[in-house]
Amino acid sequence: MRPTAIALLTLSLSSPALVLADTSDGSALIGQDWDTIVEMARGGEVNWFMWGGSDTINRYVSDYVGGVLMDDYGITLNRIGLTDTTEAINIVLGEKEAGVTDAGAVDMIWINGENFRTMKQADLAWCGYTETLPNNVLIDWTNPAIANDFGVPVDGCEVPWNRAQFAFAYDTARTETPPRSIPELLDWIKANPGQFTYPAPPDFNGAVFVRHVFYHAAGGVEGLLGDFDQARYDAAAAATWDILNEIEPLLWREGATYPTSITQLNGLFANQEVAFTFDYDPSQFGLGVQSGQYPETVMSYGLTDGTIGNTNYTIIPFNSPNKAAALVLQNVLLSAEAQLEKALPEVWGTVPGIEVDRTPAEIQAAFAGIERHPSVVDPAELAQNALPELQAGWISAIEQGWIENVGR
Amino acid sequence: MDRDPVMLRTLRGLAGLALILWLVLPLIPLAIWSFARGWRFPDILPQSWTLQAWDYALSDTSGVLDSLTLTIWIALCATGLSILIGVPAGRALGLSTFRGKGLVEMMILAPIIVPGIAVALGLHGVFIGLGLTNTTTGVILVHLIPTLPYMTLVMAGIFANYDTAFEDQARSLGASPWQTFRHVTLPAILPGIIVGGLFAFLVSWSQYILTLLIGGGRVITLPLLLFNFAASGRNDIAGAIGMIYILPGVLVLILTARHLTGRNAAIGGLGRL
Repeated sequence: MRPTAIALLTLSLSSPALVLADTSDGSALIGQDWDTIVEMARGGEVNWFMWGGSDTINRYVSDYVGGVLMDDYGITLNRIGLTDTTEAINIVLGEKEAGVTDAGAVDMIWINGENFRTMKQADLAWCGYTETLPNNVLIDWTNPAIANDFGVPVDGCEVPWNRAQFAFAYDTARTETPPRSIPELLDWIKANPGQFTYPAPPDFNGAVFVRHVFYHAAGGVEGLLGDFDQARYDAAAAATWDILNEIEPLLWREGATYPTSITQLNGLFANQEVAFTFDYDPSQFGLGVQSGQYPETVMSYGLTDGTIGNTNYTIIPFNSPNKAAALVLQNVLLSAEAQLEKALPEVWGTVPGIEVDRTPAEIQAAFAGIERHPSVVDPAELAQNALPELQAGWISAIEQGWIENVGR
Repeated sequence: MDRDPVMLRTLRGLAGLALILWLVLPLIPLAIWSFARGWRFPDILPQSWTLQAWDYALSDTSGVLDSLTLTIWIALCATGLSILIGVPAGRALGLSTFRGKGLVEMMILAPIIVPGIAVALGLHGVFIGLGLTNTTTGVILVHLIPTLPYMTLVMAGIFANYDTAFEDQARSLGASPWQTFRHVTLPAILPGIIVGGLFAFLVSWSQYILTLLIGGGRVITLPLLLFNFAASGRNDIAGAIGMIYILPGVLVLILTARHLTGRNAAIGGLGRL
């Protein structure tokens, strides 16, 4: 009896290792035949850490993407919802410091911007594998807005998932004509005191609003491209803080306080305390109207002097033990079908991270036939006035400068 | 104690009513939100009602029901272990004086004074070294760090007002150590165990960052799911998950309420701590 029990115990303990190939060694996967990678991944699992605050996005990931992974590859997708992406990076960072090089808890993170910079600088990312993905052909790496993540070169350390471009939103029932440029907005704030505010940087969306004012104060983005330059920064920064300090007493609550997050600004907007909100991803306004967060009269719009665009990505940590399954997941996410599903307004309504004109004709037709949510601004219209993101050095200097000169 | 007992009772009743209102009133908007589709200023009530938030909260996708069982299990284990460690520790702190006692008290309080994220990141490294990350066991053990200070301090307060002469008397009358504990010590300290245990349960119940870091996303408790939606402004789904989230706490409170009336002499304040 006892030997049997021990044998059973040993079997039950060791069987997962028998079924699941350990694919923590990334170098063995790069350039490997795709079918071999799929076979290595089959029957395994992948742990994807991502912001979890939207039921529709969660359903798309767990039900649609998780369904494809299970049905086609037998891979179990564990979606781990985060309140803040930094939490996942802290796990990987802690593991690296403790010497965990092949058995990390995190297989994939939805990421961009500062978090990507942290992972790249701290050598937390697995890099150089993008050519191995069959759907890599759908990505336009020659586009600088894809090859650079907030000014940091991607260098094969992540693959794009969605594109987004900053847009404002207003309620047509309350505001007749919204200001369509930064100068117009500044005039509007002066004419309508107490009706506008923005989240304090380092909030992601608050910081990008401040950068729009910075571009305006610098007389355009052209002089700001390239490496951080202290002299050029100082000139534009002084003018920016003057503008923002001048409007401060005219903001919501006389500027005595700023919302601490975009969520708080959205709440103020929904409850008619302020006239505008904004988001890096205009599809949020469609989802917000669908969930009843905003009235149907809410519309999003771009600026004639342009709004800043970005791309968000998925990244695989260096110590992921399930790299083959993570690759399969990335390839599914990049597939024309999954990108099309995600573009449907009732699913998410976001702009694809792949080039639609490289997909099969019937997918292209389906993309063309998508009816946008009426509250979401037309991405093509928005893209006509797209502004680039600055390099990381500029972005952190502007955030720090705001905190010292305006937020203090 | 020669006050008019009727007046005292009325006052006590009014205070009780105020306390109940104070506790229940904030829960009413939470309940309304969970059925609301669009509830914005200046509407007194939501524009329309829907079961969408509950539909999501109870779906497999949200994982709320799975995590409810797991969260209860973790909180119960953390409470049980807190009692096992906190009662002897509290006895030592409450009854004896020794060199460095002040330092020990400081060390016990440290985890709830030092900022949580600093503690969490340091503990992450320690738990990786011990091979306890990404497991339920690891999460239960790490919850002891915030729960033990409460348990130990409550028990130290109880034992500060406790007279060991009762135990000596029982022993001199022929009771075994177990009988002495069972019939003399336990009845005297039980209210303290219940209060301390309640603290421990609720503190474990609400852990976020420790669970996420040490659990590594393998151990998903309710706060992890709730905070996603609370932070993203989805008050409807946060309301539905929140209603589920408060259930065990309310249940534990009801079950232990009769021990918390304050009439029991053994709850004698928190001693000198």
